[in-house]
Amino acid sequence: MKRKIDHPAPPVAEALTGPKYWRSLGELAGTPGFRAQLEREFPEGAAELEGVDRRGFMKLMAASFALGGAGLAGCRRPEKFILPYGKSVEGVIPGLPSYYATAMPLRQGAIPLLAETHQGRPTKLEGNPTYAPHGGAASLLAQASVLDLYDPDRARAHTRGGKALSATEVATLLGEIAAKYAATDGAGLALLADESSSPTRSRLVKELRAKLPRALWSEYEPVTDQPPVAAAQAVFGQAVRPLPDFAKARRILSIDADFLQAEAGSLASARGFAQGRRVDRKEDPMNRLYVVESGMSLTGSMADHRLRLASSQMTAFTASLVIAVYPESASVLEPLTQGVKLDPKWIQACVEDLQAHRGAAVVVAGSHLPAEVHAMVHGLNSILGAAGATVSYLPVESTPGATSLSALAAAIKGGVVKTLVILGGNPAYNAPADLDWAALQRSVGEVIRWSTHLDETSGVNAAATTHLAAAHYLESWGDARTVDGTVVPVQPMIQPLFGGLTQIEVLARLAGQTEADPYQLVASTVTGLAGAGADPARVMERFLHDGVLAASAYRPVTVRFNASRAQSLLTAVRPAAAPAKDNLEVRFVVDPKVDDGRFANNGWLQECPDPITKIAWDNAILISPRLARDLKIDPKGSLIQVARKETAEFRMGKESARVFELSLGGRTISGPVHIQPGLANYTVIVPLGYGRTAAGHVGNGAGFNAYPLRTTGAMHVGLGAKLRDSGKRLLLANTQEHWSMEGRDIIREANFEPAAKPDGNSYRENPGYVRKVGMESHTPSNLGAVGEKMTPQERATKIPRGNSLYETPQFDGHHQWGMSIDLNTCIGCNACVVACQAENNIPIVGKDQVMRGREMHWIRLDRYYSSGTIDAEAFGGEGNRELPEDPQVSLQPMTCVHCELAPCEVVCPVNATVHDEEGINTMAYNRCIGTRYCANNCPYKVRRFNFFDWNQRRLDSLYLGPAGDYGMPALLQMAKNPEVTVRMRGVMEKCTYCVQRVQNGKIRHKVKMAQAGRPGDVVVPDGTIKVACEQTCPVGAIVFGNILDKDSSVSRAKAREQDYAVLGYLNVRPRTTYSGKLRNPNPRMPDFQPLPFSRVEYSRKNEPAAHDDHGAHGHGAEPATPSHGGKS
Amino acid sequence: MSKLFSKSANQLPLQILIYLSVVAGIATAGVSYYMTPKYTRVGYAPVQPVPFSHAKHVQEVGLDCRYCHSHVDKSAHSNVPTSQTCMNCHSILKTNSPLLTPVRESYAQGTPVPWVWIHQTPDYAYFNHAAHVNKGISCVECHGKVNEMEIVTHMQPLSMAFCLECHRDPASRIRDPKDVYNLDSARLADQGEAGRKAAEAFAHDWKLLPPQSCSGCHR
Repeated sequence: MKRKIDHPAPPVAEALTGPKYWRSLGELAGTPGFRAQLEREFPEGAAELEGVDRRGFMKLMAASFALGGAGLAGCRRPEKFILPYGKSVEGVIPGLPSYYATAMPLRQGAIPLLAETHQGRPTKLEGNPTYAPHGGAASLLAQASVLDLYDPDRARAHTRGGKALSATEVATLLGEIAAKYAATDGAGLALLADESSSPTRSRLVKELRAKLPRALWSEYEPVTDQPPVAAAQAVFGQAVRPLPDFAKARRILSIDADFLQAEAGSLASARGFAQGRRVDRKEDPMNRLYVVESGMSLTGSMADHRLRLASSQMTAFTASLVIAVYPESASVLEPLTQGVKLDPKWIQACVEDLQAHRGAAVVVAGSHLPAEVHAMVHGLNSILGAAGATVSYLPVESTPGATSLSALAAAIKGGVVKTLVILGGNPAYNAPADLDWAALQRSVGEVIRWSTHLDETSGVNAAATTHLAAAHYLESWGDARTVDGTVVPVQPMIQPLFGGLTQIEVLARLAGQTEADPYQLVASTVTGLAGAGADPARVMERFLHDGVLAASAYRPVTVRFNASRAQSLLTAVRPAAAPAKDNLEVRFVVDPKVDDGRFANNGWLQECPDPITKIAWDNAILISPRLARDLKIDPKGSLIQVARKETAEFRMGKESARVFELSLGGRTISGPVHIQPGLANYTVIVPLGYGRTAAGHVGNGAGFNAYPLRTTGAMHVGLGAKLRDSGKRLLLANTQEHWSMEGRDIIREANFEPAAKPDGNSYRENPGYVRKVGMESHTPSNLGAVGEKMTPQERATKIPRGNSLYETPQFDGHHQWGMSIDLNTCIGCNACVVACQAENNIPIVGKDQVMRGREMHWIRLDRYYSSGTIDAEAFGGEGNRELPEDPQVSLQPMTCVHCELAPCEVVCPVNATVHDEEGINTMAYNRCIGTRYCANNCPYKVRRFNFFDWNQRRLDSLYLGPAGDYGMPALLQMAKNPEVTVRMRGVMEKCTYCVQRVQNGKIRHKVKMAQAGRPGDVVVPDGTIKVACEQTCPVGAIVFGNILDKDSSVSRAKAREQDYAVLGYLNVRPRTTYSGKLRNPNPRMPDFQPLPFSRVEYSRKNEPAAHDDHGAHGHGAEPATPSHGGKS
Repeated sequence: MSKLFSKSANQLPLQILIYLSVVAGIATAGVSYYMTPKYTRVGYAPVQPVPFSHAKHVQEVGLDCRYCHSHVDKSAHSNVPTSQTCMNCHSILKTNSPLLTPVRESYAQGTPVPWVWIHQTPDYAYFNHAAHVNKGISCVECHGKVNEMEIVTHMQPLSMAFCLECHRDPASRIRDPKDVYNLDSARLADQGEAGRKAAEAFAHDWKLLPPQSCSGCHR
């Protein structure tokens, strides 16, 4: 019996007073007439058929049902109701989703979105394609944010000391405060808010400050994602911030800047970067990325040349770079480079490359770096001709008179603050530890907190705090600016579920406005921005329809670098001591998933493995292999490259991490240690945002809290830390404990340009290099030259698999679906993973189950390291026991590849997985009996099994079975996509190529054509059907479409010479193929590698005789092609 | 052993086998007859909150299906009318009828009228009305002659076999596109030789290729 999700019928009283998420039957169930009706299901006589009436038959059969273990309740289909609207809703067609433009505000940069709503219920977010810099992409955080709307842990009412307040009481309260402080000009009132790009908020703050000039307005963000304005102010004399245009850059040098993920505007950066990275033909250019970094970021994983360097030494590095570019500066900058050993050849070759691309090179520095680094980078960009070409400078709009958190803290200490209004943020959790925020907050007489959750800050002095429930952005009217300044609307998709207020409402009331309608507030800002003369109604209409305000982006300003001002800034700087084993550098990084902790209660994000460490549900203290050796941590088992010699560190897929105590400046935290290749030797990376205590059911207790280690003086980088083994162990849910490809050909890589001495291995020399790697290079082609050109249908019938008794599928549909994934541009951002989760109703399973390898993600983002040291005897030599210090990273999204001759299909005893006419390997969930044979027979390991009823059971009581609570919270039901079946326990699932989008796309097209009088036109035009991962991919690496159409973008992508099938030699004929990865190292660099490390490992494994030396690097003499006869 | 078992006991295994197979056969036949939609669903005619007569509204008033079931040609669902749609006429006609109280209340309060769902497909089956009515499949194929029904009754099993019968041979079921909402019209294939030819031509020109694999309906 298929379990159905029924809206639970709450008791009548609750239905009347409780929150009405949905028009539920419960409202009606109480009326007597309705009850009578329920009891008389059939009109008299209607159910009786000749002889045996149905009820009689059921009675007779009851015994056999009892034997079968089935209750009688399951015998009849439950009565269901159709509940149409009482009054028609304009524009709503039941069964068709509506799309509205909105935006997700995040610090200084918003992400413009389109929200898909089903009868007023937002279920899925996509990037707004009208905003050109994003091209319709959305980030990981944006994809997951729809789940936050339905978070059952959200604050459900406005409260004061635990007692609920009505909306009118709140309005009165805010009005009273406004009136009270209007009398004192605001003295005694302080407001603390997080950063925002909203023009309306900025306008209201100005109004507030005009009304209450003596009120304190402070802004605090625990992490920073934009370069400090102070540096620009110092060297340009203007408050500007740089906006790099990576699409135009041929050479990019990143100084500790994770511009593909952590920095503001990462979506636009990633998209631009991919534009310069994508290579379709060998004539295409390819950009080159130099990265100097202390951690191992996604940007670092894309680097062509990567230098590991402590963050505190970036000043020295940048100074050396400036000296190399502009030797006249040596006298000023020489002192900065003291005490840091840098390879002058590396810097020289890098600088020459940048200078050779004047006007097409760009240098970016991480936001966390000190102002002097940014000052030097501004100088470098001026010298390299980047300013105005690859970097534009935008004016900065900051709230006038905004003070810092420290200033506010001082004011509170001074007893000046009588009423403190905390708008958002979470200072009790993430304020610098030296401020002791909780104590400060407790000392204030009246605290008003506006927040979505009753979090750490709300709990500081809960009895004396007035908590205002905040509306989620999908419930709010608002506005925001993207990173380039374009104003975008924040539109509500649904009435606030818990009566939440928007920030601008609160501000407007505090500013003394009695009518605070957020729509009006936004409308007056936007029409004001649009300028006089424009019709206000038209402006708003267009603004809300397009999702962007035309021509509202900041106009770039021209800047002049002032060397003498820079000099005065730089002479004051002293170089930092080099980090060492006893003087560790701690670098606090924003977590790619939970950000600064604000998304900690989002299950999709928590369960999504970190793109680099692959750890889900936890953060870890990341240390380098060198430091691990110094600390005498012996990474046993598969933590090193030997897969089959597991000993202790990994048991059953659980990473048994040692818990270390990390102390810095007298403060100590403890957390699990994870050895991360690619880190600067003595830098310890600590991701923020975990260890929440009042985040909610999902976020509480996940990971450890690193904020107690942060002080005002060392917000991003701290020196002088120590690590001490606590002797304890902690199990981490690591989804990919093994990190080497073992010399296999899963990801095929080549250098883009030939080496100084051409060897025929590079892409430019041999664009079809993928065919020289792997089993296919040793064996005759499965299909042969003729078969390659056949249609899938011809292939299936004429070139069958060997000796199979099974019929091959008939590929006779109008379309044949296929996908191409470009490994060269994939940055591993995980947005596809969560987009897929949101689209396909994929459940989360919790840490315990992830540790058992039962995560349900349909897309697995594989991350491999290669160091070129793998030994021929794959499991014996020393090369396999070394942790690589400077690995190359290869990322690969892996999901069902829809094999034309799928191995899963032939082993299914119930035909639950079969092919359809259009080449999709389908899953009929209602047929599946859960033998899991298919998963065993899948060579790609992309099938996922519902070991428990994840959707209906609470994750902490999975093992209770029927004794546990059953049912999905009504709120979470609302997040589900109605177009996709919610799977139950015991069912296999996997990527379906978003079959719901394919079918709906086809139907929409056919309907349109039939109504337009062209009914024979059934082939869907290219690009109308976008699968979820493709749609959100910021770099456009995933392309889906009809492979029968030779001009479709997927056919063109597959026609690239570097296109190959993973495990192609199995003759499973996957429909998803991959484009090989290219690296673009500079032959003049000292760390130039003539072959990517994965290829070195490949040939070492397959041709051991040619590699007697087991040295670390230096594989200059690789054979041109692997020949036959190796140990393959 | 002959003391214990008489000679006739030799037949016992065979008898048991025959008995069991007969019982199994009856059980199978019983389950496949009595427990399939053909039996359990056909004839289902629940009492609706308002005794709405399709026969009256179609035959006497002359309403088209799409007046109430709006957007059936666009959406997957065939819309069940909002109370506002009912009130278009009933704010003038029969304004005091006690039978219409639920509709008036619903319109006044914005709460839904709880119509009992008759033609239900399982929630793992995704039926799309627009895809069918735009391709010459009339309402009557699945719903029967609703235009003649006083009480709407489930007429067809709507089982997977029922769907597949048509998907395997669409030409035998299609109507002229302009007859789709005319529930008294005849299928093209039932209109003699010319009709059969027209049906064949229709299927060919419209490139009818209804899905026969899982992904057509199961997602």
